[in-house]
Amino acid sequence: MSGPLLTLDGVAKSFGEVDALTRVDLEINPGQVIGLVGGNGAGKTTLLRLMAGVMEPSSGTILFGDKQVSTMRKKLGVVPESTGLYSRLTAWENIRYHSRMYGISDDVAWDRVSHFAERLDITDSLSRHTKGFSRGMRQKTALLRALAHGPDILLLDEPTAGLDVTSARTVRTLVGQLRDEGGTVIYSTHHLAEAQQVCDRIIIVHNGTIRADGSPSVLLELTGESSLEDAYVSLTSDKARLRNEDNEKEGKISKWWRRFLTGRTPELREVSEDE
Amino acid sequence: MSNSWRFVTTIAKKEIIEFVRDWRTLLALIVIPLLIFPALFIALPLLLESEAAELDALELEIVWQGAINEDLQLAFNESQLAVSYEQLPTEISNLSDLGSDIDRLRGQDTNAIFRLVQNGSEWDFAILHLSTSEASTEAKSRILLAIYSWESDVVNGTLVEAGLDPESTLDPVKWDGEVSSSDAATKGEQAGLVLSLFIPMVIAIWTASSAIQPSIDMTAGERERGTLEALLCLPCSRMQLLAGKWLAVATITSTGVVLQISGLLFAITFLASTSIIGIPTISASSALLLISAVAIFAIMVVAFELAIAMKAHSVKEAGSLLGPAILFIIFPALFTQVINLDGIESWWFAIPLVNILLAMRELLLDRVITEHVLVWLLSSIFYAGLAAWYAAKQFKREDLVASIS
Repeated sequence: MSGPLLTLDGVAKSFGEVDALTRVDLEINPGQVIGLVGGNGAGKTTLLRLMAGVMEPSSGTILFGDKQVSTMRKKLGVVPESTGLYSRLTAWENIRYHSRMYGISDDVAWDRVSHFAERLDITDSLSRHTKGFSRGMRQKTALLRALAHGPDILLLDEPTAGLDVTSARTVRTLVGQLRDEGGTVIYSTHHLAEAQQVCDRIIIVHNGTIRADGSPSVLLELTGESSLEDAYVSLTSDKARLRNEDNEKEGKISKWWRRFLTGRTPELREVSEDE
Repeated sequence: MSNSWRFVTTIAKKEIIEFVRDWRTLLALIVIPLLIFPALFIALPLLLESEAAELDALELEIVWQGAINEDLQLAFNESQLAVSYEQLPTEISNLSDLGSDIDRLRGQDTNAIFRLVQNGSEWDFAILHLSTSEASTEAKSRILLAIYSWESDVVNGTLVEAGLDPESTLDPVKWDGEVSSSDAATKGEQAGLVLSLFIPMVIAIWTASSAIQPSIDMTAGERERGTLEALLCLPCSRMQLLAGKWLAVATITSTGVVLQISGLLFAITFLASTSIIGIPTISASSALLLISAVAIFAIMVVAFELAIAMKAHSVKEAGSLLGPAILFIIFPALFTQVINLDGIESWWFAIPLVNILLAMRELLLDRVITEHVLVWLLSSIFYAGLAAWYAAKQFKREDLVASIS
């Protein structure tokens, strides 16, 4: 396929009155590791979910090649922040469940998985139930699950969050290897240093907008700062918006009951200097 | 195999494997339903029988106050009552007045106190007892039986003395022959009637209650455990996801219901061997319609419960919503038991839930009335479709993804 793998054109997403993302235009080309960097509630996860095709944009289009991304989910591999493993299944059963859903035979999936499992040093744990897995093991299993069907794009939502140093390094190394093999990875993180280390291109997301998009050197040039950290701070200097914790509409009865029990939040009162 | 069917079966298979691996839910939804009816119909009567035999063998102590009657004494001796004699207390206003004897009865110093006074040719009596004590209640029963037997002898003697035949005087109108042989209904049909009074209720309540736990686990549970997002990223539609989960819950629920009915039939066969109840006889068409009624009911209930559980934000909320929802099954189920099926109007068969319960009752009586069948079949399919539509609506909600933390 020539041209961009993924194209976001004027994409916006709102949840009720909250604008989670406003007018995002992006092109994702093959063979790159792209970092989505931003604070909590910046809109990274919403952007990843839109790219994964599990959410529809309120306006704009997201195309995989020339087709709507929601119809091309089989070309994507996704590792959500929660990893989403079933504790009563073994690591291999978790992976096999997903690969079967992608229409991949167990043998093909096993070949792919064993190849990556060695790199992640998890081969011996594939037959274990995931109930007792550490966060690192869970993350590695979720990565294998996302790779088992050979996706064109790998979407990783905070893949190193909560991992120990060694596990985080293993994940970063694998991402680097995937890039070297021509893979495309979109990697969300709020650690700038990690993004600088792993990504060819960094997209800074703040308050639902794309503040900057380019290689680390381009970001430095754009802001005139000497370090990426300073560049990030200057690009996101406006106050972060309040995070809409669950983006869910509260039912009328629930709202009334909550207010009945807890009362309304008292109005803030200005304090005079005498006080 | 088409893609859609592959998605649905893969999801259902995985859900069932996960379910089977949890021995606690397996115990609650598979083992208990299998054993509940045999326990209720076989073990409980056996236990009650042995308890009754134990009580029968007991020699009970009673106090006899007042006048003595030799014939009655003999009857008491035959009833394994150990009697001690006393004078009537002086402070009582009538024979039922407990007076100071209340303490002896409450302290269980004696099982019962029998008081007797002769007034000319008549006798007055009272039995003082403690109704909360099984031994005391048994003593009262034995005394009463002995009194009725003695009274019968007294009445018969009086009638004979007056030159009358006791049988033709006391029982002038009699049923000729065996009462049971005069019923046009077969034993199987009679058994169908008895079963129709509780099988529909059991099926309805069990289907609804056993679907709750897997419905919550596969929806709100997935959401809470953080497994739902990865699932929604798969290349299947929400409808296929719903169908897969529905198939899993329906399979688990049906297994539970089938096992429960198997347990029930086993218990009935056991009771039939003791001639307590016959084995119901229903035609093939009734049996087929009965299975269809249960299947449509299951489609509706499982879809509805999946929808409610998916609407909930947490397992706790789903439990709070679905727990009381069982009342919506129990009340119509109880209500339907008292509806007279003879000449029942067809519109009854269009009321949600009531229609399926009434249909099951009619079919267990082997009554296939075309008009009723059409009404309950069409209305049930409509309600099941409505429940499935509501479930699909819940599964397609966008905030399902957005709310995952």
